[in-house]
Amino acid sequence: MHPQPLVRLTDVARTYPLGRVHVRALTGVSLEVSRGDFLALAGPSGSGKTTLLNLIGCIDKPDSGRIVIDGVDVTPVPLHRLAATRRDTLGFIFQTFNLIPVLTTYENVEYPLLLQHLPAAKRRDRVRYWLEQVGLSDQARQRPDQLSGGQRQRVAIARAMVGEPKLVLADEPTANLDSVTAGKILDLVEELNHRTHCTFIFATHDPALMARARSRVRMHDGDIVTEPRLEARAS
Amino acid sequence: MLTKLAFRNVFRNRRRSAITLLVIVFGAVGLILFGGYKAITFRGLRESTIRDRLGHLQIYRRGFERAEAKKPLEYGLDDGAQLRRAIESDRRVRMTTAQITLMGLISNGDKSETFMATAVEPRKDRAMNAQRLVAGTNLPDAEPDAVIVGKGLAASMHARPGDYLTLMSTTTSGSLNAIDVRVAGIFTSGVKEYDDRAIKMPLAGAQQLLQTAKVERLLVLLNETDDTDAVRADLDRLFARKQWALEMKDWSQLATFYHQVVLLYNGIFGFIGMVVFGIVIFSVANTIVMSIFERTREIGTMMAIGTTRTSVWRLFLLEGLFIGIIGGVAGLLGGAGASSIINNAHFMLPPPPGYTQGYPLRVLMQPGILITTFLVAVITSTLSSILPALKASRLKIVDALGHI
Amino acid sequence: MKSIIAIALFCAMLPSTGRTGESDLRVAAASVLARADVFRNPIDSFSVDVELTSFAPGGRTDISRFRVFGKGSDRSIVEFTFPQTEKGKYLLMLRDAMWIYMPSASRPIRISPLQRLMGQASNGDVARTNFSIDYDAKSVAEDGDAFVVDLVAKDPAVAYNHVRLWIDKQSYEPRRADFYVVSGKLIKRATYRQYGTMAGRRVVTEVEIDDLLRPGNRTVMRYANLTPKENAEKMFTKDALGKW
Repeated sequence: MHPQPLVRLTDVARTYPLGRVHVRALTGVSLEVSRGDFLALAGPSGSGKTTLLNLIGCIDKPDSGRIVIDGVDVTPVPLHRLAATRRDTLGFIFQTFNLIPVLTTYENVEYPLLLQHLPAAKRRDRVRYWLEQVGLSDQARQRPDQLSGGQRQRVAIARAMVGEPKLVLADEPTANLDSVTAGKILDLVEELNHRTHCTFIFATHDPALMARARSRVRMHDGDIVTEPRLEARAS
Repeated sequence: MLTKLAFRNVFRNRRRSAITLLVIVFGAVGLILFGGYKAITFRGLRESTIRDRLGHLQIYRRGFERAEAKKPLEYGLDDGAQLRRAIESDRRVRMTTAQITLMGLISNGDKSETFMATAVEPRKDRAMNAQRLVAGTNLPDAEPDAVIVGKGLAASMHARPGDYLTLMSTTTSGSLNAIDVRVAGIFTSGVKEYDDRAIKMPLAGAQQLLQTAKVERLLVLLNETDDTDAVRADLDRLFARKQWALEMKDWSQLATFYHQVVLLYNGIFGFIGMVVFGIVIFSVANTIVMSIFERTREIGTMMAIGTTRTSVWRLFLLEGLFIGIIGGVAGLLGGAGASSIINNAHFMLPPPPGYTQGYPLRVLMQPGILITTFLVAVITSTLSSILPALKASRLKIVDALGHI
Repeated sequence: MKSIIAIALFCAMLPSTGRTGESDLRVAAASVLARADVFRNPIDSFSVDVELTSFAPGGRTDISRFRVFGKGSDRSIVEFTFPQTEKGKYLLMLRDAMWIYMPSASRPIRISPLQRLMGQASNGDVARTNFSIDYDAKSVAEDGDAFVVDLVAKDPAVAYNHVRLWIDKQSYEPRRADFYVVSGKLIKRATYRQYGTMAGRRVVTEVEIDDLLRPGNRTVMRYANLTPKENAEKMFTKDALGKW
């Protein structure tokens, strides 16, 4: 493990209004995530795991506390200025896949590379590589509405990985998949984590996913209940 | 990339895009048709004003306009012949004709009325077409004391073709004069106030009444109206070279009614343009807003994975632009098609004031109208997407992602 | 005197024998004219009351009354006195121009030669024509007990280019004048119907003017109360109109 954590949160709190009520999603959470980790944020809905994920993903701002990603304190930076960070350092996988419907598989995977202004030849190589990695080379020209759920999630994974991020965040990535497909997706992701040492953080309440995680963080009512433990994966 | 995205997004919701495009097409077709109608109306009115009445150019003695003549033809043109030869030698000139306008009393033995006369060269006046005869004939070529009388004046004088009336006026020296004239015909100009006072008489007859050999003005008619400015410039040079003390006006300076009609129609066109503008703005804005609403999560995703706000804004702006371009092109085609149908269908319009016959509805397709219409479509579409696009770019990522 | 003139005029009926004959004629004619004019414009500076009755076919009559102030042969002011609606109006008639002043307007209005063709202004022109000053005698003839003199305007700006004047042989009183325009058309006829004595002189007291362009229309002018009056020159200016 590398000495410096990829993500460090210090006393992060987030409250947001829901109608007239204020919901305290996070109440002073501190957390460190090591590089290359395969971390599961577990907890029931309302526990704050999605909020925590959003904060790490630089798509939400904490009300207090500090967030350091890859050595950079992103706390004072306004969200829209963090687009470059998200583009270069992060990757996202969503529960609802969130592919762009008018783009083909190939184009959806290519999209982050265009954001990164990669030249055409390099883009081609990377897209083809990652399509192969997720096993969708034959579906390159198909549009999302022509793919199955599992296939769509793979496209999403390819899209998340293609920019060579340091950290991939996934919010309930298997929730919309049947168990067989989910298993295959988890296999894929786990393998990618091993091979590339890209850090993965999941928010989930899928026990299968929790079982496969190297580290687990339990959350409840906006706070962490257990410390992350470095454990050998249970067989 | 954005271009590709924007383009494909336009066709995403076929039905909605089709309706928006139809709105633009209807608006464009409306502008093209009315613009074409306006253009052909202007041309017709311009040509009839010039060819029937004013001529392309009018030449007077210098000082004519400013002077307050105390006596008739104090500022008249002396020697017409040399001047006319010089002008008519230009191939662009169709003909020249001399005129005098004068006023006096006209009497039938029972009562007198004031008359306003235009004295013309009969043969050339027939080549122009300023009045419509309702009885009798036009001015004969070689009868100085024949006249044609306006409808209202003829009625007032109880005169029919063949009757004799007396014209009284003052000569160029200020003395009284009166001549008997034969009514050759009765005409109408379409304007009642004019018909109540107007007569046309031969130039020779007017010169006899006024005791003069002068004329008041020379009209110059060209073969092509577009030559007007060039011919005017050439004539100015000619006059300067020969040191002739003349002044000149072109039809545009004299055609006040024409300009009023142009202003009116342009005003209406502008108003219609505004209405089309407004409707297109609302339609396109609505389409874009709905599109954004439906794609909120997608927008959130794009921003999450690193798309900047500016890019999001640009994306929707581009969509508006494409809608405008596609709609504009379709509108031009639709307009061209509609024009063609109308021009071949010969819908008859009712007769305008002063005429008995209707005329077929036609529209003139002019590049100016087409370009304007296309630009209106494109610009309004693009403009109407600005605010919605801005709102889209300001979406909170978390909220957008959580959107259904 | 009279017989010399009469003989001279009579001689003029014979074929012209030479220039001297013609100039004699002109001198003779001029003096005849002058004598004829005397009956119409006897006093240099005067005032006179005029009653004007106009007749139209169908018997319609209108009556108006005026007081006229004159000076010389070429200046007069007409003050409208009747009917009530016309009271307060003034006409200024100068050699070349005519002005009307109406109380409702702040300034007098010039009447153009054309407008003088219309209405009673034209009769005013006829009534004040000064034959001896404005016309040359061109020929003389006899018609019963009157001389018929053809007059041609001296100035092309004079309203009636040609006048034919009947003058009583005995008394030199003008009997009738026919007014022609340049084209030769006869426009008006003035008949000097009655004579009387005013201000110690024998003058025309009634004139009938026929509008020959509109047969049946005629105007009768009756003069009364001719009085010598010292009319100041400056009275006969446009600016003075209406101010007194």
